Amino acid sequence: MKSPTRRQFLKFGAALPLAMHALDLRAASKPKSPRRIVFICNSLGFYAPYFFPKKRGDLATSQYLRHMETRDKLTVFENLYHPGMETSNHDSEKSFLTGTPKPEAPNFVNSVSLDQVLAEKMGGETRFPFLPLSIYDRGWGCSWNNRGVAIPPLHDESRIYNKLFGHEDLTAKRRQIDKDQLIVQCLYRDMERLQREAGQAAKIDHYRGVIAELEAQLEHDAFWLHEKKPHVPNTLDQDPEFAFSAKIKNLLELSKLALQTDSTRVITFSMDWVYGAIKVPGATGGWHTLSHHGGRQDQIESLSRIEADIMRHLNQFLTDLDRIKEGNGTLLDHTTVIIGSNFGDASDHTCNHLPIIVAGGGYQHQVHSVLEKPTPLCNLWLELLHHNDLDVASFGSSDRDARPLLS
Amino acid sequence: MHALKLLLTLFALIITGPLSAEEPQALFQRFCMDCHTGDSASANLDLTKYLHDGFRDGTLIFENLATSKMPPSDAVQPSEAARHEMLAWIANRQPETKPRAFRRVSRHEFVHSINDLLETELDLAAKLPEDRGASQFDSDRRIQLSPQMLRHYFSVAEEMLEHAMPTDGFVNERTWVTRKLKDSHPTYNIYVRDYREGVLLSWTRANNGNSYAFFYDNFEPPVAGWYELTVDAAKVGDFEEDISIQLHAGKYYYADDRPQPQRLLGVVSVGNRELKATTIRAYLHPGESVSVHCYSRHNFRDQNPTQGAYIRQLKARGPLQDGWPPNRFQTLFADQLLSVKSNGPKRGTLPDASQANSSRGIESGEEMALNEEQPKKKVWIESDRPEDLQSILHRFAERAYAAKLSVAEVEPYLQVALRVLERDNDLVEAAKAGFKAIICSHRFLLVPGQHDSEQRARKAALARVLWLSIPDTKLRDSQAPPREQIAWMMRDERTDRMIESLCNQWLNLRSWNTIAPSLKLYPRYDDLLDHYLPLETRAYLAHLLRENQPVSHLIDSNYSFLNQRLAQHYGIDGIVGQQLRKVSFSPDVPRGGLLTMGSILKVTTDGFDTSPILRGTWISRNLVGTPVSPPPETVKAIEPAHGDEATSLRARVEQHKNHETCYACHKRIDPYGFALESFDATGQWRTRYRREKPHRGTFQYRLDGYYRLGASVDSAGEIKDQAFSDVFGLKRILLSNERVIAYHFAKTFFEYANGYKPDLRQRLELHAMTGAKDYRMKDLVSDVLIYSLDGESR
Repeated sequence: MKSPTRRQFLKFGAALPLAMHALDLRAASKPKSPRRIVFICNSLGFYAPYFFPKKRGDLATSQYLRHMETRDKLTVFENLYHPGMETSNHDSEKSFLTGTPKPEAPNFVNSVSLDQVLAEKMGGETRFPFLPLSIYDRGWGCSWNNRGVAIPPLHDESRIYNKLFGHEDLTAKRRQIDKDQLIVQCLYRDMERLQREAGQAAKIDHYRGVIAELEAQLEHDAFWLHEKKPHVPNTLDQDPEFAFSAKIKNLLELSKLALQTDSTRVITFSMDWVYGAIKVPGATGGWHTLSHHGGRQDQIESLSRIEADIMRHLNQFLTDLDRIKEGNGTLLDHTTVIIGSNFGDASDHTCNHLPIIVAGGGYQHQVHSVLEKPTPLCNLWLELLHHNDLDVASFGSSDRDARPLLS
Repeated sequence: MHALKLLLTLFALIITGPLSAEEPQALFQRFCMDCHTGDSASANLDLTKYLHDGFRDGTLIFENLATSKMPPSDAVQPSEAARHEMLAWIANRQPETKPRAFRRVSRHEFVHSINDLLETELDLAAKLPEDRGASQFDSDRRIQLSPQMLRHYFSVAEEMLEHAMPTDGFVNERTWVTRKLKDSHPTYNIYVRDYREGVLLSWTRANNGNSYAFFYDNFEPPVAGWYELTVDAAKVGDFEEDISIQLHAGKYYYADDRPQPQRLLGVVSVGNRELKATTIRAYLHPGESVSVHCYSRHNFRDQNPTQGAYIRQLKARGPLQDGWPPNRFQTLFADQLLSVKSNGPKRGTLPDASQANSSRGIESGEEMALNEEQPKKKVWIESDRPEDLQSILHRFAERAYAAKLSVAEVEPYLQVALRVLERDNDLVEAAKAGFKAIICSHRFLLVPGQHDSEQRARKAALARVLWLSIPDTKLRDSQAPPREQIAWMMRDERTDRMIESLCNQWLNLRSWNTIAPSLKLYPRYDDLLDHYLPLETRAYLAHLLRENQPVSHLIDSNYSFLNQRLAQHYGIDGIVGQQLRKVSFSPDVPRGGLLTMGSILKVTTDGFDTSPILRGTWISRNLVGTPVSPPPETVKAIEPAHGDEATSLRARVEQHKNHETCYACHKRIDPYGFALESFDATGQWRTRYRREKPHRGTFQYRLDGYYRLGASVDSAGEIKDQAFSDVFGLKRILLSNERVIAYHFAKTFFEYANGYKPDLRQRLELHAMTGAKDYRMKDLVSDVLIYSLDGESR
């Protein structure tokens, strides 16, 4: 029996016309700038008196934010919190993007995180539907799938670089997709034969619909397999003295490049922590130990050096995004960046009064918005869903009468 | 016996009058119409209208009559035959409803079937999404196969095939021996110390209450697979009970303020004072190190302990294979020529780590660096003949589909395999592609499948219900009558899967992990208890089914299956060691039966307060089958919480009495729950409620918890006009109509097995099935299966 070769199969198989179609679509949609979103959660929070502006609406009165260059494209929110997590602990990080209460309970089960809901909607057109990042190898961060299972973030800069831009041996992946596509074709043939048998029509119709969708997903994968990765020079910083500082810088740089090359449109950066001492310009100490400063001024000063260093990199990230022109505006105008924390005050593990900044995204920014009463952070999450055309009635612990926070 | 029956019949005749061929309408007239007629009819039900005109849904009338709720106990009762006649009349008037003709195989069925086909033991169901939605049973025919699910089936099938026949070959089995413990947090190293040739551990819980585990860092599994973990341990201490060593798998993160939630692999119960080696088998993933936690109520947080668990060393061996080449190759490729090709040294030529390390503190894993390239061995089939591939796939497909197949039917799968054979020139790889196509086909994923004979269809259905799998060789060849087949299938250990499913789905233990008892109120609740409580229920249900125990044992019996930890929890003395065993209770012990089991009592709470409504609903929905409808949407819900005085909770729940719409149902729900108020949210007996006390700052675990005692428990109530003062009384009332319990179990099992609720005609049959005096569990399961498979293979 003569069977077509793999090459012939690829040429005449169902994959090709659809891939061409996808190419056309991509070309057609080019002029319109896509929406993107970045979540950054600093797991040890920010020392509130240095973070929030002392004078309402005046960033110059915030020790951390006064250097922000993109101040007309950001809003600092005061009085956001996660209901049910007022007395949580470090586990509250798990619920930062889900709003699921009681993350500290031993048998806690999380729910789907906001970034994943958005990735489902926004991730289809890029090689990576989303990019989860963390500083250390911990196995979990702020991203949780729709079964409440943690999605392990990537933490190794060079691996992330390789994944995004490096050459990889696609043989195994290609073979896998080839094989699955062969199997899908086989299952179609299997159905053709069985259709002639009586009494199976409903079953076959149902299965045919399901298999057709799988076929389309495989085509998405195959499509990106054939697309070349963007070429980006490796400029990762290898600073042996300030390793922590360099790590934050690198991960934000990779995030910028990933957005700039449209490799992904959803990024979640979980800034996790370790017990050991870290060194930043002007201070050396255990980040976690310092975060429990208990109000002692010398410790607060050391801690503020770490936090100021983080803020410096975040400022750079926003500024970089704002310098990249895209369409009628800048990359920052098309990218919503959320900078925040699961802790309002890491010193006594409280989770109210969370520090939250919304930057970019093309909103009419208010610089500093002090909410009258404590408002669930999930109200903001819900609003982000609505802004991205996801018509849902609630998310996590959002109130029933959530008022718009952004405009 | 006959004489007795006759006597009973005569007796029945005397109380109900002669049993002539009375018209059903006349029966309704006689037994029901006194109350249910006219505008002022009881419960607003005018039976005249139902009898004469309408197509009104008769389900409620049917159920009330079937469960003897009607006619009420103080009215004249119809005989068994008359009742049956009335039920039949209702059933035959009911418009027919047809369930969907097929359903998707559940994720558990999928994984078990492939395990049995490939002779693997992989627990991958957790990798497949829970697609059940709001349905009680995984088999529910309303659940559709989704594209997302199919994608997961593809990838799990791939993973299982790859595990069974790895493309790059098998990693050699190795042995690690390690004595070096690492604590997850430096402040906890005071609870462990060097002792003789190893370490002595005391029982430690972290400040957030988690079991505090110490890691063995020098062993890391190179590949996912089964490993043997052997612990050399002894008990040090002057007390009677065993010490338990919990072995966990989990990745160790120094970065965290506590160890990560880990998987409990097994428990080693140590009573011996001399060192003894105990081995457990565990499935481990790369990167998962093994950690130990020790529990004994005698040495909580002993600093520099003098008593506790002495662990000399941990020996790990694996990945284990069941022979070489693994037996599955014989099954899958049978008469083809097997040849073993090794890409490295053969097993046994590796240095044995156990000899290299005898002195304390040597990190024995070290000399074989964990990330070094492992030599691998591959199994080849020395053939490239399409005929061989054809017969391999043909045999596999016939097993998977439980059907005789024609060559033409196997053709599409063969095409896939041939394509891969051409590409890779490796018959095993080619067969794997064919196997994958076979198990991702609608013939495998949508059931009932297509079987070429009634007999094979029935066997496939039996295997699916009892084993969550496919028929094995013995069942395929069996010519025994169905009842005998069911009997030996239930003895087979694969039926444990059905028992687990029933516990999870019927008894709702699948919510187990979503409910965490408050450590402020129940500080003694721990991992070990959390592990064993559901196992008690599983062992009990297995016993009822396999040993054909009376249905009444669902409600009450004088035994259960306990170990040391469960016995401590229930306040029963003299049980030493953590292996479950049958324990008999004296009459004053409130245990025995499902509703007073810790697992059920926990899963019907929120972990803090107990809720009489939740518990009452659980009993009424799962055991008694009182038909209740959800509360009407206009009703403002009563949200009871034990306030400062427990009486206020009862008072609030009893507000139901003031609302006729509420009380109609709640009078049959709440009282069950009141009787169970004697049990707290972990299932322990209580006479007074616990009230939470605030703690300062961050929560710090302590053995005494943070509570004070509040009001006394009142467990009295009244159901169907019968008063009870406590749970013993409630059990007596429930058992006064054993048939109701049997009928409800038959209906539940029918739904579990078939994926839809029985319609009224089917219920009529099930009701008749429970007409015998002696209702026994295995008999009922067999009856329901034979009835639904023979009569209803739709």
